[in-house]
Amino acid sequence: MRKANHWSLLLLLFTSTALLAAEHRSDHLRFGVLPLQSPTKLAGMFLPLSDYLGRQLGRPLQFVTSSNFTSFMEKVADRQYDIIYLNPMLYGRSRQYGYRVIAKVASEPFTGILVVRKKGRINQLSGTSLPPDTRIGFPDPGAFAATVMVWKYLESIGIDVERQLQVQYFGSQDSAILALFNGLVDITGTWRPSLRSMPEVVRRDLRIIAETPPQPQMPIAVRDDLPAEDIERLRRALVELAESSQGEVIIQQLGFKRGFEPANDDEYLEVNQ
Amino acid sequence: MDRHGGWFPQLFHTLRIRLIFSVALVHVVLMGLFTWEAVHRQSQELRQEMVNQGRSLASLMVVASTNALLAEDLASLAEVTRRVGEREDVSYGEIVDVRGYVMASTRDGRVGRSVGPVIKVSEQFPLVKTDRVLDLRQAVLIGDKPVGFVVLGLSTENLESALAATRNRGIQYTLLALVIGSVAAWLLSITVTRNLHALTLAAKRIGDGDLGARVEVRSQDEAGTLAHAFNSMAASLQRNAREIEQEHQKRTEAERLACVGEMAASIAHEIRNPLAALLNSVKLLGDQKLVKDDHAIVTRIVDTESKRLQRILDDFLTFSRLPAAQLQNGDLKQLVEETVELVRQDPRYSGRITFDCRYEPDNQCLFDPDLMRQVLLNLLLNAMQAMQGEGKLIVRLKRNGDRVNLSIVDNGGGIPEHIMSQISKPFFSGRKNGTGLGLSVVQRILAQHTSVLSITSREGSGTEACFDLDRENHG
Repeated sequence: MRKANHWSLLLLLFTSTALLAAEHRSDHLRFGVLPLQSPTKLAGMFLPLSDYLGRQLGRPLQFVTSSNFTSFMEKVADRQYDIIYLNPMLYGRSRQYGYRVIAKVASEPFTGILVVRKKGRINQLSGTSLPPDTRIGFPDPGAFAATVMVWKYLESIGIDVERQLQVQYFGSQDSAILALFNGLVDITGTWRPSLRSMPEVVRRDLRIIAETPPQPQMPIAVRDDLPAEDIERLRRALVELAESSQGEVIIQQLGFKRGFEPANDDEYLEVNQ
Repeated sequence: MDRHGGWFPQLFHTLRIRLIFSVALVHVVLMGLFTWEAVHRQSQELRQEMVNQGRSLASLMVVASTNALLAEDLASLAEVTRRVGEREDVSYGEIVDVRGYVMASTRDGRVGRSVGPVIKVSEQFPLVKTDRVLDLRQAVLIGDKPVGFVVLGLSTENLESALAATRNRGIQYTLLALVIGSVAAWLLSITVTRNLHALTLAAKRIGDGDLGARVEVRSQDEAGTLAHAFNSMAASLQRNAREIEQEHQKRTEAERLACVGEMAASIAHEIRNPLAALLNSVKLLGDQKLVKDDHAIVTRIVDTESKRLQRILDDFLTFSRLPAAQLQNGDLKQLVEETVELVRQDPRYSGRITFDCRYEPDNQCLFDPDLMRQVLLNLLLNAMQAMQGEGKLIVRLKRNGDRVNLSIVDNGGGIPEHIMSQISKPFFSGRKNGTGLGLSVVQRILAQHTSVLSITSREGSGTEACFDLDRENHG
């Protein structure tokens, strides 16, 4: 009986996905955001921007995210989104599906950070100083700043992550930070915007112990079949966002410092290498 | 409108039916109001509860589906709608994204399609008569920005079934109250009307003359009080009747004695004159000096006065020995014609009196032929004598409802007003040679026919004597 239910669910999912793909012909442009946070929190951050962009385009934007990075990239591969916001590494993969960067976050350098509890047992990072059973938390294997960049940084300073640390993934930046706060892990890889979005009571107990070298900032890309004038309007709307008081509010809700600035593909070639 | 007819059933005039109907009506009205109130109140409570449950369920759907809706996690959304669809009262439940596409639904084949026409706001009771589903809608909001909505349909069939069950129970209780109330009213009416029935029977017996009728008093209630009062009234009536009877007997005896005295005086008065004439004549006849011519005159006087005495005695015997009337149905016209023909032959008035007889087509009525002939003879002869042998005499028969009126009108000299009150007394006569018993005989005979003689007269113009006879026996 349960098996039959599972098959029914799979069939439903299959037909639903097919129908969604077949019928996505509404006026809405779909704005896919990488699931860096919980869907509700992401919606709180990006819905004002979606509304703003929709007004600039004269077409409504639908904010959507996904349950995880893999699922998100599957939809990118399926070209289900018209506009995407993702990390530099995943942008490199999205290019093969016809997405092109139009702007990037104009903010602090795009870095990953390593965070520990102030009263925790980790005081410094080195291959020799870490206790043998040290646990490290990441949001998702595909999280560029929080996982990939931090992983590479740790290896660059002589820490063999696979062997010296017990790695745990918590699905989102928030979950990973809260896992550190609650003592489930000793170190967490994340990035600054997520740490800033934490409540004061959480941030007060945590401290940044290391930061990775910078990489190009988070890009916003569009699918290549969008009309050129729409792409240009989007680019201009993003770049000029910080010039209005309304835009400043939107940037504040995004958790960014300065909004967006122009970007091109060349900046992200090194990331994939 | 006729009190006993028309649209109002005759049966309703009985106290018992009125009592039963009134009590039953009160029961039905009160129970009907109670049932209506109960159904109305329960309806509102159930409807409000349904709305509250629906809103709670829609809110739960919103909470449970917000993240999945934003992440387009169709499996999680499907799980939400599957759980919701398991509820018996849920007709449908759908989660719709901001574009209007169904992301999950309890109905097959809806996912991925446009939701189509859908309510803008949640419905409220009362619904349209044919609508059996309460449609609710709740937006999925992030802050104040909608990212989709949930629509939920709750079937009102269970609600309607519950209300119908309550309504039916109320009707059953109403009918039960109707039966119990009617039976109680019937028993009560028996108790009340049993005493009234006894009172009615006793009243009828008293009406039939049995003043000794009484009601047996059993209860101490109003009916018992009424019965006590009735018995007191009957006893009083009986006492009064007895006193009246005694008084009547005394008066009758006195009247009878007075009548006898009057009769004796009248007879003595009537007889004294002819007897005195006879005595004087006999004395004269014994006188040797009486001449032949005077002897003849005196002899004629003896003859005349003897006959007068004979006639007085005959009339008196007729008056006193009047036989009981044997009433039978007959044609009064025929009797009138025979009597008129008889008096027409009287040589004293032959040819000088004109008779005008007027009849109805049907002149059947109840009378004793022999006695009625006597009545007609007396009245006709009185009229002919009043006309002094000539004039016009009208005899008229006329239908008057269920009676026949006979009137005899003459154009004689009429009766002087000062003797009108005495003409019906025995031995009173307005003529020299009358005995004064003719009208008395007529009155006695008519009394046996349950009728009375009416005399209207104007001096110098004439007199009308008339009376009625029954067309059929009402006794």
